[in-house]
Amino acid sequence: MRMKRRPRIIAALATVSLITACSGNDDGDGGAEGDAAGYPEQNITIVVPFSAGGPTDTVTRMIADPMAAALGGKIVVRNVEGAGGTVGAGDVARAEPDGYTVLMHHIGMSTAPALYKDLGYRPLEDFATVGLVTEVPMTVVARQDFAPATFQDLVTHVKANAGTVTLANAGIGAASHLCGLLFQAAAGVKLQEVPYQGTGPALTDLVGGQVDFMCDQTTNTSGQITAKKIKAYAVTTPQRVQSLPDVPTTAEAGMPQLAVSVWHGLYVPADTPPEIVEKLSGALKTALADQAVIDQMAKLGTAPVTAADATPDAHRAHLEEQLTTWQKIISDAGVQPS
Amino acid sequence: MDLLDNLLLGFSTALLIENVLYCFLGVLLGTAVGVLPGIGPTATVAMLLPITFNFEPVTALIMLAGIYYGAQYGGSTTAILINLPGESSAAVTALDGHEMARQGRAGPALAAAAVGSFFAGTVATVVLAVAAPPLAGVALRFGPAEYFSLVLFGLIVSIALARGSALKALAMIALGVLLGTVGQDIYTGTPRYVFGQRELYGGIDFVSVAVGMFGIAEILRNLENERTRVSLPASVTGLWPTAEDRRRIVGPILRGTGLGAALGILPGGGHVLASFTSYAVEKRISRRQDEFGHGAIEGVAGPESANNAAAQTSFIPLLTLGLPAHPVMALMVGAFIVHGITPGPNVINDEPALFWGLIASMWIGNVLLVLLNLPLIGIWVRMLRIPYQVLFPMIILFAAVGTYSLNFNAYDVYAIAFFGLLGYVLIKCGCEPAPLLLGFVLGPLLEENLRRALIISRGDPSVFLTRPISAVLLLLAAAALVITVLPAIRERRDTVFTEEE
Amino acid sequence: MLAGGIFVVIGGAFVIGALGYDRGTALRMGPGYFPLVVGAIVVVLGLAIVIKGLIAGEVAAFGPVSWRAVAVITAAVVFFGFFIRRLGFVPTSLVTALLAALASKRVRPLVAVSVAVGLTTTATLIFVIGLQLRIPLWGL
Repeated sequence: MRMKRRPRIIAALATVSLITACSGNDDGDGGAEGDAAGYPEQNITIVVPFSAGGPTDTVTRMIADPMAAALGGKIVVRNVEGAGGTVGAGDVARAEPDGYTVLMHHIGMSTAPALYKDLGYRPLEDFATVGLVTEVPMTVVARQDFAPATFQDLVTHVKANAGTVTLANAGIGAASHLCGLLFQAAAGVKLQEVPYQGTGPALTDLVGGQVDFMCDQTTNTSGQITAKKIKAYAVTTPQRVQSLPDVPTTAEAGMPQLAVSVWHGLYVPADTPPEIVEKLSGALKTALADQAVIDQMAKLGTAPVTAADATPDAHRAHLEEQLTTWQKIISDAGVQPS
Repeated sequence: MDLLDNLLLGFSTALLIENVLYCFLGVLLGTAVGVLPGIGPTATVAMLLPITFNFEPVTALIMLAGIYYGAQYGGSTTAILINLPGESSAAVTALDGHEMARQGRAGPALAAAAVGSFFAGTVATVVLAVAAPPLAGVALRFGPAEYFSLVLFGLIVSIALARGSALKALAMIALGVLLGTVGQDIYTGTPRYVFGQRELYGGIDFVSVAVGMFGIAEILRNLENERTRVSLPASVTGLWPTAEDRRRIVGPILRGTGLGAALGILPGGGHVLASFTSYAVEKRISRRQDEFGHGAIEGVAGPESANNAAAQTSFIPLLTLGLPAHPVMALMVGAFIVHGITPGPNVINDEPALFWGLIASMWIGNVLLVLLNLPLIGIWVRMLRIPYQVLFPMIILFAAVGTYSLNFNAYDVYAIAFFGLLGYVLIKCGCEPAPLLLGFVLGPLLEENLRRALIISRGDPSVFLTRPISAVLLLLAAAALVITVLPAIRERRDTVFTEEE
Repeated sequence: MLAGGIFVVIGGAFVIGALGYDRGTALRMGPGYFPLVVGAIVVVLGLAIVIKGLIAGEVAAFGPVSWRAVAVITAAVVFFGFFIRRLGFVPTSLVTALLAALASKRVRPLVAVSVAVGLTTTATLIFVIGLQLRIPLWGL
C-alpha cells in the first residue's frame, strides 16, 4: 500500500544487518530448559550493568569471543545500565537459572548492599560465582599545580588543609568513590567530596584545575599522566604498573592499607546447574589464557587473573571477603544507604 | 606550512579507499538510525564497537564518528516530516520545520537543513584543524560556576522558543527543570520521585519526553476533529528552496555556524545549547518575528547549522585532551583503548595520521552526507503521501519500539503515554512543549553545577560573581530576562490601561 | 487558566515530595533543596497564569477532544510497555498497532487489521531482523 520508499530503507537496513550479523547477535531468551550436557544450545547473553564503552564493557567484549569459541556457541553482550550497576544485576538475579544469562560485574557487587537500601537481590544468595576475570589497578592523581610533590606530602597536606581540599569522584558507588573513601579512612581525614557523573567529567575538571585530586583506574588516568596534564602520586596495587614505571605503590609510599583494585567477575543466577557453571568457568580460563586477550588487557594497564582465581570457589571467597571489608569501610565513612 | 602538511597527511589517510568506504557506511548508518526514533547513535556505536576491533584504528574511528554526525543529520528529517524529534537539537528543528511540512514545504525545509549542515560542517572542520589545541584550553577554563551561569543564560534565552505568552514559556521551562529532577540524586544517591521503582533511578529518558510531547500529542491533536483536519498537505509545492528562501537562509546559516562552533567546544553541555541559542538569536533579530513558529525557514537553517557545527567541534575536547563530551565519544575513548592508543593530549603528536585523518574524514563525511541526502529529499517528501490512517499507527508503534530499545525499560514506554497526555493538555492550553524540553535537558546540568560550584567554594555563593566568565554570563542572562519580559509587562500595562478607559 | 492549574498541581506535588528529602542549607544543598525551590517557582508561575487569566476574563476554550483517540492511544502504548517482555515482539506489536489504528473514527475494521499486520511485519523487519534488537519474536 504505502511504501514506495521502502526498498531503499530496507537496503540501508540490510547493510546494518549484514554488519551486525558478523557479530552474531541473535537472541533466544526463550524458555528452552538448560540441559547441561548439550549446553550451550542457544546464544548466551552476558549482561554488563554499565554503559557501553566503559572499562567493564571493554573487558567483557574482550573475553566474549574467546569464551564463545571455547564453549562452541555464541555470546551476546548486552548493557543494562542504571543505579550503580544494580539494575542489571537485579535483572540477572531474576533471570532463568539456565546458564544463558550471565552477569559481568565489578567491585560494585560487594559494595552495593552497603550503599542501597532495597537492593532487590542478595550478592551471595542469589548468584552463583563463575570466576574472577581481572583486577584493574587504581591511581591517586591530582591537578598538575597541586602543591604536594609526593604521596607522603599529599597525606600531610590534606590533613593540614582538610577544610579546603576537594576530592573528586565519578559518582556514588563508582570505583573512584570507593577508593576515595578508603584513602580518607587510611589517612584519618574527612575531606570534601565532589561527585561527578562518570569519570569523563571528573577528569575534565581535574585537568582544568577545578578540583584538587581523585583516585581512579589506570584505564582512565594513564593517558593524562604520561602527557603531564595531571600528576600521579601512587598506584594502589602491590606491584608497580608496567605503563607507569615511575609511580610508586601505596605500600612503598607508606600507606599499605590503601590497597584496592577494580576486580571483575562473572556470575549466573543462583540455581544454575553446577555442570553449566563448570563449563562457563572452563571457558573463562581458556579465554584468559588467550594471548590476544592478554595483549589487549595489557593495553588497559591490567592483566587476567591466574587460572586458580578464575574459578567459582576463589571468586566466592573473594566476594565474601570484599563484602565484609566494604560494609565496614562504607559504614565507618558515614555513608547512608539510599 | 605545518597546517598544510598536516592536512595533506590527513587527506591522504582519509582518502584511502577503505576509509572512504567505512566513512560512507558510518554516515549511512548514522542517517538511518537518526531517522528512526529512539535508536540513537549511542546504541548503534555500542553495537558496532566490537566489530571495529579488527579494523585499523583510524578506520574504526572514522566510521564511529560518521555514525555520530550522520545521526545528527538524520534526526532532523523525522522532526521535519512527522514532528518526532529524537534529540534536543531536533526538537528546535521541529518547531518551524514541521510547520513548513504542513504547508507543503517539506522539500525546502529539508534542503535548508542539508545545505546549512554541510556549510557548518565544512567551517567547523576547518576550525578543528586550525585551532583545536588553543580552543581546548578555553574549554578547560569552564568550571562548575561557569557552567551554571551558561545554563541559566540558555534557559532564559529559550523563552524565545515559544510564540505565545512569555509567562507560560517560563512556567514550561521551570516545569521541565522540575521533571529533570526525577531519579537518583548524584550527590547523595537519594532516589527522588521514583515511587520505589528501580527502573526510574536513572531518571526519565529524553527520548520519551520528546516523542510524547511532540509526536503523540500531535497525533492526538490531529485526531480530535478528523473531518476538518488538514494535517498534511494535499499538494507539495516545490521540492527546492525558492530564490527568496535562498536569500533568507544565508544569514542564519552563517550565524548558526559561528554560534554552534563556539558552543560545541564546551564539554559540559555546550552543544546542547547550540541549536536553541541559534533559534532564539534568529527570532530576535528577524524582521519577520511573527513567522517564527509558523514555518519560518530561518528557524530551520540556523539551528541545523548550529547543531552540525557543534557536533563537529565537540570532538575538540576528545581529540586534544582525551576527554569525552558525549556518550558516543565515551565509546570512542573505548575504541581508542582497545586499539592500544591511550586517549589523552598526546594523541595529536603520537598518532598524527589518526588525528588529521579523522579530521579530514569529517569533511569527506559531510560531502557524502549532502550527496546522500539531497536526492533522498524527494523520497522523504513522497512519504508524506502515506494516508494518515497508516502513518499515525506507524509513528506510535515505531515510537514505542524505538523508545523501548533505548534501555529495554518498560518505564521509558509508559513515559511516552504520560508525556503524550500531558503535552496534549498543555498544548491545548496554549503552552508550547519546546521550552519544557529544554528545561528538561538543562535542568539536571543546572542543579549539578550549582551544587558542585557551592561545594568547591565551601558554600560561598560569590563564586558566581567573582569568576569573570561566570559573571559576564550572569549579566547576559539578566539582560536577556529584562529584554524578554519587558515587552510583556508593557503590553499588559497597555491592556489594563485600555480596559480602564 | 487550566494551564495555570496544572502548573500549580504538579509544582505543588513536587514541593510536597521534596519536603520528604533532606533539604540541607542554601550553601550545602541536600537532595530536596533544588526540587523544592523549582517546584515553588512553578507554583508561583502557575498562580500568575491563573490570576492573569482571571483579570483578562479569559474563557477556557478547550476545543473538541477525541476521547476515543486519547483512550485508545494511551492503551496502545501502555500495552506495549507492559507486554513486550511477556508476549514477545510480534504479538505485542500487532496489538499495539491494531489499537493505534482504531484511534481514528473513520477507520474500517478491515483496514485497521491490514495496517496492523503490515506495520508489524515492517517493524519486525526493521528493528528485529535489520537492527538486531534483542527482543524475542514470540513470547513464553
